[in-house]
Amino acid sequence: MKILVIEDDVTTGTYIARGLREEGHVVDLVTDGHEGLVAATGGGHDVLIVDRMLPKVDGLTLVKTLRGAGNSTPTLFLTAMGSVEDRIGGLNAGADDYLVKPFAFGELSARVAALGRRPQAVEQETSLQAGDLTLDLLTRKVSREGQEIDLLPREFALLEFLLRRKGRVQTRTMLLEGVWDLSFDPMTNVVETHVSRLRAKVDKPFETELIKTVRGAGYRIDG
Amino acid sequence: MRRLWRSMPLRLALVLVVLFGTVSLLSLAASYAFTRAAFEQAIRDDLAQDLAGFRAAPTAGAVALLVQAESEDTDPGRLVLSYVTRSGRIYGNGAVARDDEGFHIISLEEGRATLDGEYLALSARLHGGRLTIARSRAEIEALRPVFFNILWISLLPTVLIALSGGLILARRSERHVEVVRNALEKLSGGDLGARVKTGPRWSDDLLGIGKAVNGMAEAQERSVTALRQVSSDIAHDLKTPVQRVSLRLEALAQVVDDGEAADLVAQTREEVDGIAAVFQALLQLAQVENGALKAQFASVDLADLCRTMVEVYEPTAAARKQRLSFDGPDSLQVDGEKNLLGQMIANLLENALRHTGEGAEICASLQYQYGRPVLSVRDNGPGIPAEELGRVTQRLYRLDRSRNTAGNGLGLSLVEGVARLHGAELSFEDAQPGLCVRIQFPSA
Repeated sequence: MKILVIEDDVTTGTYIARGLREEGHVVDLVTDGHEGLVAATGGGHDVLIVDRMLPKVDGLTLVKTLRGAGNSTPTLFLTAMGSVEDRIGGLNAGADDYLVKPFAFGELSARVAALGRRPQAVEQETSLQAGDLTLDLLTRKVSREGQEIDLLPREFALLEFLLRRKGRVQTRTMLLEGVWDLSFDPMTNVVETHVSRLRAKVDKPFETELIKTVRGAGYRIDG
Repeated sequence: MRRLWRSMPLRLALVLVVLFGTVSLLSLAASYAFTRAAFEQAIRDDLAQDLAGFRAAPTAGAVALLVQAESEDTDPGRLVLSYVTRSGRIYGNGAVARDDEGFHIISLEEGRATLDGEYLALSARLHGGRLTIARSRAEIEALRPVFFNILWISLLPTVLIALSGGLILARRSERHVEVVRNALEKLSGGDLGARVKTGPRWSDDLLGIGKAVNGMAEAQERSVTALRQVSSDIAHDLKTPVQRVSLRLEALAQVVDDGEAADLVAQTREEVDGIAAVFQALLQLAQVENGALKAQFASVDLADLCRTMVEVYEPTAAARKQRLSFDGPDSLQVDGEKNLLGQMIANLLENALRHTGEGAEICASLQYQYGRPVLSVRDNGPGIPAEELGRVTQRLYRLDRSRNTAGNGLGLSLVEGVARLHGAELSFEDAQPGLCVRIQFPSA
């Protein structure tokens, strides 16, 4: 993917750019809002990463201007303030997702990957598969190696969420947002306990591990 | 209405009406007395003149003739002439009689009936006889209804106009005072954008107060905005270096081999996450205390949110051999901000999970009490001694601050702040055993 990073802090920007390049993306890095607006208008980017506080043109105005001009490139907002008001303000301005500073690179990378896939094709799937695991969306039954696995409704939802995003890392906050519709981060490791419960049913009785932990980022099911 | 009676303009109007009414009554009474006296004097003068005319007659017979002639075409209801000669003969159109009640004038025609009405009489001896001339006071008596009419015609509209004017003024001033009060309530509720909207018909004094309130609100808003700017600047300034540290640690984690160095890096990353969490909690707390978020309130299903939160924490509780349950209706709507309410419930549940041991039972419940939604989280852990419960609420902020560690956020302070933002009251009770934290929302 071709990604434009608009971040005034050179150190942070460089790290983000380097990390994304290592993942195989093409990254443009600019350090102020004016340059960012010019670069983004030039087009050709799949995802924009915009810092909220920028010199010359602030992030909010930048996104509003782009959206006003009909540019709908998926945008991830980086905000240092990270309060509810800012989040709503950013999303209202037309950003697609936001990330509160300080963030882990894994979180950023997972969210950028998710944004790059938007809009997803609406597939009329009746079942999801990964390896020898099958999740039937109609009967809401899960089986592996021909054995039926009994899941609670929320465990089913969690597994479905991971399967639908097969091959992509899903962070704790992405899971909380997607599965529970919660836009805040509980303090204790609640997501881990849910995942380990799911693993106990889906992975433990079998030889290969389907749900992988990605250190410092989240979880992933490979196809 | 009762409030209206206590309003200043209406009281003033009433006082003025009473004052004006009294003065009008007094002056009308005085002019009535003067007019009456003048009329009486005029009648007396007429009587004296009449009498003087009869005195000119030379003999008793001439007087009798004159009286007889004069009285022939005179209405006794207006003027009574009576001459009693020495021999006792009565000439004229009436006679003066006397009984226990005083003097009466009796008509000489048609059965000698007593004449009604008051008369003013003048009597004199003339040529051995007695001449009495009496004029009716009906004209004077007629003054009374005239004056009453004047009283009604002049006073009644004045009173009515003054009263209704006072009422209208009172209503208007009450409306204006209400506008000022509403603005002040909003301001003290944290909505610093609230202003007194004055109208063109406002009285100068209220206009002055309105302007002063607006001036105060503007000054306050400016300083709060400046303060918020400073804190968000600080947050930004500090978060950027924290961000760099976090990213560098992440890069470092990838290059160090497993072992002691990797553990150190992992521990340091946890510490950095803790710092970030405290920043986050502080910013959120500042924002909650500001109250501006009220503008973003929407209907939130609290029952649904509680159920989700309990479900989110249930595996965590189970891993610690604690039981977590929810008891409440299928749906309960309150006005609020969903993420903050969720954070509040999360903090309450985490608090309960953290301060109770293995085997503890934690129950979140939601119900209506006296028409108000009440959210409570009860545990059967060690609790807080009854005598200290009150103090906990009082010193909540400091208590929580001193206990604050990374990852703990500003737990109860945020709970208190979010509750206050939603107009809810936070209280602690002894659950015997354990602690029960109650959040009482305002009635819908």
